[in-house]
Amino acid sequence: MPFRFILRPFRKTIDALPSALFTALICFSLPVLAQEAEVGEQLFQTHCARCHGILGEGGEGPSLKRPRLNHAPDDNALYSVITEGIPGTGMPGSWMLSPEDGRQLVSYVRNLGQLPDEPMPGDPAAGEIVYNNSGNCASCHILNGVGEGIGPQLNGVGARRNSEYLRRSVTSPEVEQPKIVDRFRGTLNAFLTVRIVSEYGTYEGMRINEDVFTVQMRDLTGDIYSFEKADLISYEKAFGHSYMPGYSAALTETQIDDVISYLMTLRD
Amino acid sequence: MKKTNKMNVKFACSFILAICTLYSFATLADTTYEDHLADEASGADWLSYSGGYKSHRFSPLSQINTANIEQLKVMWAYQMQPTGINGAGLQETTPVVADGIMYLTESPSSVTALDARSGNLLWHWTPDISNEVLNIGFPRINRGVALLDNNVYVATLDARIFALDARTGAVRWESQVADNSLGFSLTLAPLALDGKIIVGVSGAEAGVRAFLDAYDAVTGERLWRTFTVPAPGEPGSETWQGDDWETGGGSTWLTGSYDPELDLLYWTTGNPAPDWNGDLRPGDNLFTCAVIAFDPDTGEMRWHFQYTPHDTHDWDANQIPVLVDGEFEGQQRKLLALANRNAFYYLLDRETGEFLLGEEYSYQTWAEGIDETGRPIVIPNTEPSREGVLVWPSLQGATNWFSPSYNPQTEQFFVANRRMGAIYFKADAEYQPGQPFLGGGEQALDGVQATGAILALDVMSGEQQWEFELLTPPWSGVMATGGGLVFGSSNEGQFFALDAATGNPLWNFNTGAHIRTNPMGFSIDDNQRVVIIGGQTLFVFGLE
Repeated sequence: MPFRFILRPFRKTIDALPSALFTALICFSLPVLAQEAEVGEQLFQTHCARCHGILGEGGEGPSLKRPRLNHAPDDNALYSVITEGIPGTGMPGSWMLSPEDGRQLVSYVRNLGQLPDEPMPGDPAAGEIVYNNSGNCASCHILNGVGEGIGPQLNGVGARRNSEYLRRSVTSPEVEQPKIVDRFRGTLNAFLTVRIVSEYGTYEGMRINEDVFTVQMRDLTGDIYSFEKADLISYEKAFGHSYMPGYSAALTETQIDDVISYLMTLRD
Repeated sequence: MKKTNKMNVKFACSFILAICTLYSFATLADTTYEDHLADEASGADWLSYSGGYKSHRFSPLSQINTANIEQLKVMWAYQMQPTGINGAGLQETTPVVADGIMYLTESPSSVTALDARSGNLLWHWTPDISNEVLNIGFPRINRGVALLDNNVYVATLDARIFALDARTGAVRWESQVADNSLGFSLTLAPLALDGKIIVGVSGAEAGVRAFLDAYDAVTGERLWRTFTVPAPGEPGSETWQGDDWETGGGSTWLTGSYDPELDLLYWTTGNPAPDWNGDLRPGDNLFTCAVIAFDPDTGEMRWHFQYTPHDTHDWDANQIPVLVDGEFEGQQRKLLALANRNAFYYLLDRETGEFLLGEEYSYQTWAEGIDETGRPIVIPNTEPSREGVLVWPSLQGATNWFSPSYNPQTEQFFVANRRMGAIYFKADAEYQPGQPFLGGGEQALDGVQATGAILALDVMSGEQQWEFELLTPPWSGVMATGGGLVFGSSNEGQFFALDAATGNPLWNFNTGAHIRTNPMGFSIDDNQRVVIIGGQTLFVFGLE
């Protein structure tokens, strides 16, 4: 919800108001918030949805459902991107927006990638211990520079993923596969498991990149291979497979709750 | 003294020879209407957007062929010049080549002339376009120039048309086509006919009432204007209610084709406005999503055919109308072939507009087929809704503005095919001048569920002969050649050549950037050249 821009005018008044009136204002502000969100949604549909998708999940333009936007690290930068565009790309500026509408849009777009606050299911401190010991997570993930880079880096994962997603990733990783958003190619599977057979042998690992004629993959030892598709005996993509093991059996329910809680704290 | 005289004579002779060479070069640089009529025959030049009035985008040259394609290499490259206009980072131009000079546009509306032999810059012209120019519903791009006599014509994003001197880039004249502050904009390559320049407009996403214009090639004076949405009392007005026609759309944003024998100009039209909320404009909404045959002297409509009546998915018919002569069901006919954004391939009789064929060429979920009159048999509940409705193809269609190609020697029609669905939403819309007028939108299915292909169709039946699969839905066109090849591109940046007979890939080159243009070809010093733009770089390929 666009708190930043809506509550600010009220706050100046609040100090001078009796508490009863303060309560009344807060009650009044709730429908106002809903109304403001609706305005933001309408502005988004009008000015942004054609390229970024009506749900903000991408189309010709990239998905905006991300906590961090490459060209807009803060709200001021996002305002500039919206109103002035981005040089060297297809993103034009919506300069015709009023400053208020521009700020509404900033708030709406920022909100698209923000996860709502939710309670932690367990103890994050205990979860960190599980992460580093019985979970052995660093054997595949890099966090704060420590670990092996087989799976996704986990810095900031708590800002990108909600608890439900994290739980599925820990217990049924084959169901919830990470995606990457490519500017021109849309949303693609990251870490897609591939099996490649060439005259030199059989190679299994994760796809790094692919075009019409070639494919690049990394095996579980970290070695990188590049193939011409025309030279291959077979090339299989295992959608729905993940090299990450499910931890339902290896960890107790409490340990899983703790790990999820720890991951939720990783917001930078 | 004697020696000096001899040197002087020698110098004088060289000077005269140089002048003669320059003069002959200058004379040859003129591109006459007759040159346009003959353009498709030799393939040495490429004088207009689609490589000739019939819009075949076919290079008859065969020096580069299936036997030697592996030796194809980059001869030179040209880096586009940044203009400082934000959002102008996509290039969609098709260069043209006349007598050794290549003319191309750079986004949003600049024109560049290059030595087609070396790639060296001859001149570069940039109009004074503000960063506040309106482009509602499309990127800040331009698709190319038109050539006629000694002028280069370019249509600009802020809805002007310029005539530039072909030798220097100096402005001969400019005309204001429409008011950009209302959402009118021009991105297409103009079409040069005999003494006139044809341009169409973008702007349906801003609720403009679109039109097609003709301008005097010498003076810039407007000769005629024909609206693609009729006013009350005009033919077709019965397909609109109330004052919906005033904001009815029907943009004309892609270059058309011309039949000099029939003296008919063929131009396609885009979506009705607002795009996705059809409740706000009941009726078939003529002449949107259609192809129209115009009298090029008066702008009078001779016939029309509407591909998607009452469109609610933004399936513009702004694809290239390809003019084909051949035997259809035992009868020699003049045909108009078009692979539509709505996933059907159509054949019309281009003398009369009679519907002849409508065949599905790409997966779609909105129509059971095309009836005998050419009208789609629409599947219920495929219109956008408040909750969202999944329909194939996505709003970008089964193909889009990028060009198909036709090889008249083999009667094959090649098209770059997007295979992608979308969830379509309906929303409220209120017209405000110069503001988006959309009435909804789509959320395209994610890239994992979307692919693409280059298709070869039998031009007379629409039957697929082969397909070459692409990883993702393409944004670039194709060009067939007399060497038995089809050139195409991928989103991932490869420019490739396929065997036209089988679809087998024979050669590819990684340009290192997204490709969003059409290939074209020409020859210089009797050496065949093939051209593509990847990202901001134009590549010219050849054997030697």
